[in-house]
This record gives sequence, C-alpha cells and structure tokens, in this order.
Amino acid sequence: MQAIPQIRQAAAILVAALPFFAAHAASAADAAAAKQKAAACAACHGPEGNSTNPAIPSIAGQPKQFIVTQLFMFREGNRKDPQMSPMAAPLSNADMNELAGYFSAQKHAPAAKPLPADRIAVGRVVTEKYNCTQCHGPQLLGQQHIPRLAGQQPQYLKTQLRGFKASTRFDMDGQMTSAAQVLTEQDIELLGDYLSSLDAPGK
Amino acid sequence: MCFRSKHSLVATLAAVGLLSAAAAPAQQQTGSSPDLAPPGAATKPPAAPPSWQQGRGAEHEKSTLHPFAPHLTGRPSSELPLDKLKVPAGFKVEVWAEGVPEARSLTLGDKGTVFAANRNLSNVYAIVDRNGKREVKTILKGLSAPNGVLFDKGTLYVAERGRITRYDGIEDKLDNPPQPKVVIDNLDPYKQAGHFWKYLAMGPDGKLYFNIGSPQNITMPTYMQAAILRVDPKTGRLEDYAHGVRNTVGMAFHPVSKQLWFTEHGRDWLGDDMPSDELNVATKQGQHFGFPYCHQGDTLDPEYGKNRSCDQFTPPVAKLGAHVAPLGIRFYTGKMFPAEYKNSLFLARHGSWNRNTKQGYDVIRVVIDAKGKVVKTEPFLQGFLTDDKADPPMWGRPVDVLVMRDGALLVSDDYNGIIYRVSYRK
Repeated sequence: MQAIPQIRQAAAILVAALPFFAAHAASAADAAAAKQKAAACAACHGPEGNSTNPAIPSIAGQPKQFIVTQLFMFREGNRKDPQMSPMAAPLSNADMNELAGYFSAQKHAPAAKPLPADRIAVGRVVTEKYNCTQCHGPQLLGQQHIPRLAGQQPQYLKTQLRGFKASTRFDMDGQMTSAAQVLTEQDIELLGDYLSSLDAPGK
Repeated sequence: MCFRSKHSLVATLAAVGLLSAAAAPAQQQTGSSPDLAPPGAATKPPAAPPSWQQGRGAEHEKSTLHPFAPHLTGRPSSELPLDKLKVPAGFKVEVWAEGVPEARSLTLGDKGTVFAANRNLSNVYAIVDRNGKREVKTILKGLSAPNGVLFDKGTLYVAERGRITRYDGIEDKLDNPPQPKVVIDNLDPYKQAGHFWKYLAMGPDGKLYFNIGSPQNITMPTYMQAAILRVDPKTGRLEDYAHGVRNTVGMAFHPVSKQLWFTEHGRDWLGDDMPSDELNVATKQGQHFGFPYCHQGDTLDPEYGKNRSCDQFTPPVAKLGAHVAPLGIRFYTGKMFPAEYKNSLFLARHGSWNRNTKQGYDVIRVVIDAKGKVVKTEPFLQGFLTDDKADPPMWGRPVDVLVMRDGALLVSDDYNGIIYRVSYRK
C-alpha cells in the first residue's frame, strides 16, 4: 500500500519534468538553427566568429546586446558598411537576437601575438588614462551594448578609432566620438596593437 | 538622470601631450626597457571622463555604477515576465503594442492614431488599431533625436535635437507623410552633446513648450540651456519661460489651474539619496528652479551653491526620490478609472542607475487636491524592478504615459519597445 504514493510521486515528477525535456529539445533545435544562420557570418568573421583577418572584427564572445545593437544599426542605415549593410538588410529582429545569442556564447580566440613588455606597460597606462576601462570594463571585455576590445583585430580597432575621431563612424551616444578627439595617429596605432594583444597566448 | 550623449568635446591639452608622449617610445619597437612608461603620466591629469561620469568626486572613483542601454530591436513580450506587473485592485495591465523599438514619448491623434518617438534611434512611429490588432508603421526616419511628439488640431509636431517641425494632416497620410514645415530651427547652436533631446507640451496659450537641458551632469549652463522655452507655432516667436531646470522630459498643463507641471532630473554623484528628483509647477513666466545652484529646493550644490541661498529659487511641489529619473506625466482626464482618479497625475519613473540600491522603474499616481496641492504619491504600475542589486536590476523601463479616449492609460517602455495598456472595470 505504501508503494502507490511512491509511484504516484514518481509519475508526478516525470510529468512535471516533461516540459523541461520539451524545452530542452526545442532549445537544442534552436541552437542548431542559429548555427546554420551563423554560417553566413562565418564566411568573413571566421569560424564561430573568430576572425583571422586584421580588418574584420571578431564577434565571438562579444556581449549579446552589443551584437544586436550593431546589426540593428546596420539594418536601419545608421551605421554603414559596403559588406555589412546588405548582410543586415534582410534580418528580422528575431534573427538578430538569435545570431547575437549564438556568437556571444562562442569562445573568443586571441587575435594577435603578444607585444613587448614595454609596449604593454604603455598601453595599460593609456587605456586607463583615456578612460577605455571606464565603459569597456577593467579587463576590456565589454558589457551590455559596449564591445569587448581585448583580443579584437588590430586593424579593425584602428579603423573604428579613426572613424570616431573624424565623426564618420556612427555613434549612438557620442561617447566614443568625444573620447577619440584627443587621439593622435600614434595613439591610435598603439591602442589598436595593445588592445588586440590583450589575451594573446603567453602574455 | 539620463544616460548617454551628454558630453562636451573637452579635449584636455594635457591629455594630448600625454598620449603623444606615450606613443613616441612605443614607435621604436626596441623591446623591453624599464623606463618606457609615458613621461609624466603619473602627474598629468587624465582625459575627460565619459560624460555620465562628469562631476564624479574622488569618493566615487571606484564606483561601478553605470547607465543602462535599451534593447534597440525591442524584445518580444513572450520573452518577458509580464506576470510580475502589478496594478491596484480592479485594474488590469496588458501589452497593447510591441515591436515599437525604443518607444519613448507618446501622443494621440484625433482619429485614434498613437504616435511614439525615439531618442537614440531616429524614427517616429504611428500605431493604428485595426480591429483590435495594433499595426506599427515607421512614418518618419532619419531624424535627430526626435524625442518630442505632440498632436494638436490635425498636426503632428516633432521636436528634434535642433529644431521643431510640423506635419499637417498627418493622420490621413500615414503611408505617405508630408514634408515637414519648420516651426523653429537653430535650437542647438553648439552641436555638443548634452541633455538636448526634447519633450513637447501644448500650452493653453496655443504655444509649444519644450526643454533645453543642461550640457552635462553639473556645469554652468548657457542662457539657452537648463531652461523651458515656448514658441508660437503661428509666428515662430521664441521666449524663455523658466530657468534653472536641469533636465525635464515630462510636461503637462493642469486641467483646472492651466499651470505647467513638469518633472526634473537631479544631478548625479552626490550619493545614493541626494538629491531627490523633482516635480515642479511653474505658476508664471520667469521663475528659476535652482539648477545648478540649489537641488531639491533645500540643498545647495557643494560647488555651484557657494554664496547662494535656496530661498532665491522656486522649490519643487514634490520630491520623487533620488535618481529615479521621472519622465512623462499626464493628468487623468478620462472617465474609465474610479472618480477619485480625476485630475490625478500619472508619472513614469524610468529608474535609477546612479544608486547602489536601485529604485523607480514604475508609474506612480500623484494625488492632488482641489487647490492644486500635492497630497501624496502612491504606486500605480510596478514590477519592472526585479532585483535592486542586480545589473541590470529591471526587465522594463516606463517612459511616458498617455490617456486614451476610452479612459485607459498607455505606458511606453523604451527598454523593450513595448506599449502597455492599463484599464479598469468595476
């Protein structure tokens, strides 16, 4: 007689767990679908979003909200790029969220070789004095809509900084345009090289 | 207090010197040397901080507080914890429209169109009801921070950063909007960042009331800043109306007294509980509401308040809480809600970022007596704030409120691009 409540209890647990299994299966299917959609991005941004081209940014391990924001800005025409604008044009909001979810969950691979110790020391001082760490975080890993800089491709970083300085790179809130005004060409070279080296192996 | 885009392009010369010096040795690429730290880096002042940190003292240097950005694509309501929303007994809250990216200020057309505006994005949306389903159209694109929208006598007025324009007969032309006519231009002569997105209200005098906020968190404004101005749309004639208003993004005229009520964001970085954000009433033209000298009507600014006294300025009629970021307001003139709600003020609080324990993120009701005095404030729509210590602490942020013809109240949420509807049944 005591077995019956136990069976009932076990059955109850099983029933309660069913939605979990269903949800799990659905999320696995969603993940597979996201990976398939992401294949188009990987053609330029590299496998899992880790670029090997110094001019093209890595998107693996970027904050989800950052990726969504940029895709949205490309689609809406606020940010313009000959390659990216047409790629973003057909995406729905749901597509953007899905792609961003996928790439933000991928492991970031280092972009550049380590720098000599003296350049690292200079770079560290410069990123603090110039407030990079105030928004991009103490480790420059980004947060919310603000991108990860650590290990980003150097040429891409430099192009963005030059664009911000010239007020030609779209800037949602004016923060980067303002921050870039004091940068010299030498500063931009240093920042690009330093930031891209930040998670280099053997650093 | 608001986020993003308040910046002067303060290029500190010392900083320029620092970076050039810093980069010079790096150019040599000669490998390690113990002396390659930038010359003088330790003694030179750092570059201008991000604008939202302007005015931050040494005691907050290690603070990790930061503003929150909206989800610009919006988020589907199916992914949101709507069951957490709470309204008083007898009221009901539901999603009225979604897919309205960064929905900010709201205004209602004569034919029932709801117009919603953007601040970081550049669009104005029209939302029309088609047999109980809401259709969202993007009617204007590419505008400059078009945060202010106001519908009056067939015309939609749009306040961008630097100008106010009018779109006549817009409700009949939603699919093919007319070219704008300029009401007033050159409202942004300095082109610098600052609290320069606008809110629009129509005065009983037929003039458009709008704000030009402070250029930064706490600095001395120019004559055209930290002010409420008004312009006659018939003539384009511009007047100052009130001064000492750091940033108002919510204005409404009381249905009986016809006086201008407005919300105001207090400064940041004076601690978790100081100063309170304000609800103000302008009883006449030419009043000064204290910024940057006096905050919350009774507290002098540590820097700008020296040699001043708060009794020189008009105090608020209600303190709304520190850093809660009060935005849109509307007096309740509908017939759906219980009789005691008549002429109560609904007020959206976007929610605090410059506070260790977050607060706001709700719509409150301000109860006002027959003489126009604030009796009390009470919660009306709550539940967006889920963990006051988390980052982010909320899943939604109310921006503006709008009384519909049937008496229901709409609430915009820019974090998710959603408009909610609060209704009442006996």
